[in-house]
Amino acid sequence: MENLRWRPTVNEREFIEHALQSDLRVDGRHSFDFRKLKISFGREGGSSEVQLGETHVLGYVTAQLVQPYRDRPNEGTLAIFTEFSPMADPAFEPGRPGESAIELGRVVDRGLRESRAVDMESLCVVAGKHVWSVRVDLHILDNGGNLIDAANIAALAALSTFRRPECTVGGDDGQQVIVHDPEVRDPLPLTIHHMPIAVTFAYFGEGNIVVVDPTYKEEAVMGGRMTATINSNGDICAIQKAGGEGVMSGVVMQCLRIASVKAADITSKIKKAVDSYTTEKALKKVKRLPASLPQKINVTDVTMENKGDGELETQTVKASDVQNISKGDEDHRNMKGNSPLIGDRFAKHKQTSTFIGGPSNWDPYSKGVSLSSLRISQLPDPATTSKASSHEEAQPMLTESSNAEVKSTSSSGAAGESEEAQEMGSPKSLKDAVKPKHKRKKKKSDRS
Amino acid sequence: MEDTRRADGRSPNQLRPFSCTGNPLHRAHGSARWAQGDTVVLAAVYGPKPGTRKGENPEKASIEVVWKPKTGQIGRQEKEYEMILKRTLQSICMLTVHPNTTTSVVLQVVGDDGSLLPCAINASCAALTFAGIPLKHLTVAIGCGVMENGTVILDTNTAEEQQLKSFAHLVFPNSRKSVDSKEPKEKDEEFERGLITSVTHGVMSEDDYFNCIERGLAASSRISDFMRKTLQKEASSVDA
Repeated sequence: MENLRWRPTVNEREFIEHALQSDLRVDGRHSFDFRKLKISFGREGGSSEVQLGETHVLGYVTAQLVQPYRDRPNEGTLAIFTEFSPMADPAFEPGRPGESAIELGRVVDRGLRESRAVDMESLCVVAGKHVWSVRVDLHILDNGGNLIDAANIAALAALSTFRRPECTVGGDDGQQVIVHDPEVRDPLPLTIHHMPIAVTFAYFGEGNIVVVDPTYKEEAVMGGRMTATINSNGDICAIQKAGGEGVMSGVVMQCLRIASVKAADITSKIKKAVDSYTTEKALKKVKRLPASLPQKINVTDVTMENKGDGELETQTVKASDVQNISKGDEDHRNMKGNSPLIGDRFAKHKQTSTFIGGPSNWDPYSKGVSLSSLRISQLPDPATTSKASSHEEAQPMLTESSNAEVKSTSSSGAAGESEEAQEMGSPKSLKDAVKPKHKRKKKKSDRS
Repeated sequence: MEDTRRADGRSPNQLRPFSCTGNPLHRAHGSARWAQGDTVVLAAVYGPKPGTRKGENPEKASIEVVWKPKTGQIGRQEKEYEMILKRTLQSICMLTVHPNTTTSVVLQVVGDDGSLLPCAINASCAALTFAGIPLKHLTVAIGCGVMENGTVILDTNTAEEQQLKSFAHLVFPNSRKSVDSKEPKEKDEEFERGLITSVTHGVMSEDDYFNCIERGLAASSRISDFMRKTLQKEASSVDA
């Protein structure tokens, strides 16, 4: 099939160039304005969707334990995988990534890894044997121009909300790594020292005219481009100018100054979005905690080695357990069993589970909730069934299910449920961000 | 039949909340984001593009499906999904309208909590409609599972799929709505609504399988009503 890249017509090209000479952009922006940025997150941590004007990028972070590189035995690894999905642009073919895809991957990679934005040494578990390998998948869903900036923001947002499972070194020889289930021990956030923000400039008309955040039409018409990855402290993490129009050094310096201003602005937007997401999650978990706190529960750890046995193990402990505190979603996850390692597809399902209940205190931002009150493992009665999907469903569904379920031993069950029903009004999910056109409420079917 | 409660509190016939967003993407000719509970799939359609791939019949249009998982490399599972989707969509598209063209459908898994294949099929059917590709009828897909006591549960999620002995993904054509609303409903059910696609996992008895089909068929008319409303809303908003 022949090249399907969108090529501008002569009229479009001239229109864009002439408008820029009068300092007008086709979409009405000023030369140094970014488009509207919208960051939303998925159910589980580590999943982000960024919309920069028409450009749409999905970021997803996973981690697994691997052997470290020989020359860096006490550092974890970070890898960025970029997917130019054919849905973003008719010119993107599935299969081998084109040169712009590789360039994007390299620029984002340099900005994050080589600037040491993510702390690698904290990802080490057993030096020389086990370290966490963090993998960031960036899927370009819609090419509206300026993919590098949007992908960079998606990667940062996803890394900020990603939580890796906690693991301890133990066992007989002190070398065995035990990975803890997320509901047993709270998963930990990554240590991010600073946020390198990529700002892309497009040059027109022999390098005289500069605009920030070009749309795909402007990109097709531009003479050259430069991406400056800069953080809010003003440190330049990376500059990428691959060919194109020659630009005077004075103009380049001006661009860098503009970039540092923009970087500060975008950093605050990302931080705000991440903060609201994490506090929302923490609130949901805190509200699930009943007024009367139970006694200490036995903590089961799911060992890395035997995934199948681990499930049985948690279930037998459940049977012997007396207390029931959780609002049901804990055992929903326990029933899925399995280790929380993300390399496994099942673990991924666990992360996407409709888990809303169960307190855990991974959130570094929440104040006023004491560690001891939250760090209780939730291993409820096997008789309890969970109402994990209640997040999406309407209120009547919730009360109906709470009547039907056996929330046995906990006296605060009823109180907890009414709180949960209240909670229904406010929870936001990725779906809310997407503006569902037609929300289907619960379906009661009485088919024979 | 006894009132069995599922792990997440739904009754056996209860589906998760559905939502369909029309045309969230700007570059694609048609796109749809279909969510069933936590399972979310984004489908984009480009087409018809000129030319067919080698090996395809040039007298008909051909459909090309690309499935993108959320993470990891493309493996056999993804290839299988692509093949199932391609065959399903080929059966609903009117292939002779645009011969020697390729319509490509790209799917991106945004969230996976069970019933992924039915969600993807629903999303791609909606995306094809938004793109304006001529179709014979719509497809409605549903996942059904069989519990130990023989109850058929609809719209399985990941936990249920892992525990159940067997489950099936079924695709039906949409229910017909007659312009003359005086026709009684029973007559509609007499129409032979054949099964377009069926993918089963695990072992189930013949009776269980036919139970699944019967339940799926009943549920599919509700899903097709939902689809019809969404598509009508999109169409009217486009015209306005």
